[in-house]
Amino acid sequence: MKRRHMLKVDRLMLRFGGLQVLDGLSLTVREGQIVGLIGPNGAGKTSCFNCLTGIYQPQSGTVHFDGRDVSHLPTHRRARLGMARTWQNLGVIDTLTVTENVMLAGHQRTGYAALAGMLGLPGTWHRERELQRDAAEIIEYFGLDAVAHERTGELPYGIRKTCDMAMALATDPKMLLLDEPASGLSPEEALGLATTLRELRDRLKLTILMIEHHVPLVAEACDHVYVLNFGQLLTEGPPADIQRHPEVIAAYLGGTAAETPEPPEWPLKPEGADHGTA
Amino acid sequence: MATATMVLTRVKVQRRFGLALRVTAVIALLALAALPLLLGGDVWAQRISRAAIYAVIGLSINTLTGHAGQISLGHQAFVGIGAFAAAFTASRLGAPLGFGLAAAAAAGALTAAVIGLVALRVTGLYLALVTLAFGLTAETTIFNWREFTGGGAGALAPRPTLLASDHAFALLCLGVLALVLYLDWRLVSTKTGRALTALRNNERIAATLGVNTTGYKLAAFSLSGLIAGLAGGLFAHWNQIVQAMDFEFQVALVWVLMTVVGGLRSRLGVILASALFALLPLTLPNFLSSLPWQPPFLNEAVYHVLPPFIVVVMLLIVLRCFPGGFGQLLRPATRWLSTGSARTPRTGTGGRT
Repeated sequence: MKRRHMLKVDRLMLRFGGLQVLDGLSLTVREGQIVGLIGPNGAGKTSCFNCLTGIYQPQSGTVHFDGRDVSHLPTHRRARLGMARTWQNLGVIDTLTVTENVMLAGHQRTGYAALAGMLGLPGTWHRERELQRDAAEIIEYFGLDAVAHERTGELPYGIRKTCDMAMALATDPKMLLLDEPASGLSPEEALGLATTLRELRDRLKLTILMIEHHVPLVAEACDHVYVLNFGQLLTEGPPADIQRHPEVIAAYLGGTAAETPEPPEWPLKPEGADHGTA
Repeated sequence: MATATMVLTRVKVQRRFGLALRVTAVIALLALAALPLLLGGDVWAQRISRAAIYAVIGLSINTLTGHAGQISLGHQAFVGIGAFAAAFTASRLGAPLGFGLAAAAAAGALTAAVIGLVALRVTGLYLALVTLAFGLTAETTIFNWREFTGGGAGALAPRPTLLASDHAFALLCLGVLALVLYLDWRLVSTKTGRALTALRNNERIAATLGVNTTGYKLAAFSLSGLIAGLAGGLFAHWNQIVQAMDFEFQVALVWVLMTVVGGLRSRLGVILASALFALLPLTLPNFLSSLPWQPPFLNEAVYHVLPPFIVVVMLLIVLRCFPGGFGQLLRPATRWLSTGSARTPRTGTGGRT
C-alpha cells in the first residue's frame, strides 16, 4: 500500500557564503512513516530542518507539505499547517513554567483573537481554562505533573527535553520534526523512546522525521533512513540495509569504503568527520 | 477520621481568615494611597494626576520593553504627538474630551506602528538609535509645525466644565490608569502574553510554535504607542497647554529609567517608581528648603539638582543589587496578597524574570 506524501523536498540548495550546506537534497516522507535522517556532524541535517520549517530560506528547491507548496510560507504559517519541531538545544522558554510553555505551544489553537484576550471578552476566560486543562492532560501523559508549575529554566536537562516534546505535540501537529530526541538520554531511555514514538505515531496519526545519532533507536523506530553527507544524499533505505552500507560506514568513520572491507559493528557515534555544525 | 476533619476545618478557617486579612490589607493600602487626594487639596490632586499620567507612560514602556523586549528611546515623540492631537481636537475642533483622548491614542498608535515597521529590521543598539533619532526628529519637525502645535507658544487644551476641578481630573487619570492596568493584566494572562514572552526569549522558537512574530512585534509597538498617546492626551489637559519643550529627549530617558527602576513586567513596581519619579522633582526641593535646619553650603538651587541625582543613584543600585527593580523587592508582599503565601514561587506569573 502506497501512502500519500506528507513531506516532499525537492532539490534543496542552501549556501552560506562559500559554504554549500545543502546540495540538491531531495527526500520524501509518507504519511504515518517514521523516517530517520542521519549523517556525520556538519552534514547539514539541522540546516535541512531549518529549511523545512522556514527559518532558513534556501537559494533554490521546493518543500511540499501535506500536498501544499510551503516553500515561501513564513515559519508560523507552516506551524499552523501542522509542522512541529523540537530543537537540538531545546525549544522551551526558560522564564515560563512547564504549564505555560505547553499553553504557549497551544497558541494557534486558542480560538480567540489576541485583542479579544486583552480586552477580556467573555469567551476568552473560558478558553484559557480549557487550554489549561488540555495542557495538564499533555503534561500528565509525559509524566511532568510534579514539575508542572516550575520554571523550565530551573529544571534538569532531561525534563526540559521532555517538555520540548510535549510542546511539539501541544501544537496539534500532523508531522513532527525531531532534532536528536535521544541526546542526553541513557541508552535504556533512548530505546524506550522508540516505543513512545511508535505509540504516538499510531495514536495521533503522526508522521515523524527525526535526526538521530543513537543507532539502536534509529534501527528500532524508523521505517526508512536517509543518510546525509556534505549536504548531499549519500544513500537511503530501510535501517537494516543502511547499517551494512559501506559508504555510510566510510562517511562516519572517515576514509573510503575500500579501506574497510570488513564492515565493523554499526558505528555507534559519528567520529572524526567534524566539519563544524551548520 | 475525626482528627482529619478537624485539621481540614482548621486549614479552611485559616485560609478564610488569611483571605480576610489580605483583603483588609489591600483596602487599607488603597485608602492610604487615596488620602492625599482626599485631604491634600488641589495641589495634591494635581500631583496625583501627574503621577497617574507617569504611571500610564511607564506601563506603555513596560508593554514594549518589558513584554516584547524592544527598546524605545523616542517615547517622548509618541506621548507628545498624543498631547498635541488632544490639544488640537479640543481647541481647534472644539470636540469633546473623549474624542480628543481617542484621537491622541490613535495618533500615538499610528506613529508607533510606523516606527515598528522599521524596528522589524533592526534590533538592540540599532533599534535604540532608530527610536532615538525618530524622537529627536519629531521634536524639531512635528512639534514645531505651527498649524498643528501652535509653534513656540504651544497649543491650548482646555478642560470641559465637568472635569475643570483638579479632583475630577485626577479621578479621570486614575480611571485611565485602571483601564491600562486591566489591559496589561489580561494581556499577560492570555495568549498575547505567552507569545510575547516567547518572542522576547527566542524568535525562532516562537515562530515554530505558530506565533506570528512580525505581527506581534508590530502589535506591541502599536499598543505601546496607543497607551503613550493616551497618556499624552491626559497630559495636555492636565497642563491645559502643550509646548514642544515639554517633550524633550531627557524626559524619554527618565521614563525608560523609571520603568527599569520599577521593574520590567511588574505592574505595581512600575506604578510606584513612576509616581516617585513624577513627584520627586515637585516635592523634594520644597520639602528640604522648608526644614527648620539648613545644612551649610546647601541652598534651594542645590535641592533642585537633587532629584535627577537621586534617580541616577537609584538606577545604579537597582542594576547592581536587584535587577528586577521595585517589583523584585515587593515580590514577597505581592505574592502574599495574591496567593496567601509568601514562600511558594509555584504559581505562574506570566514569565517574570
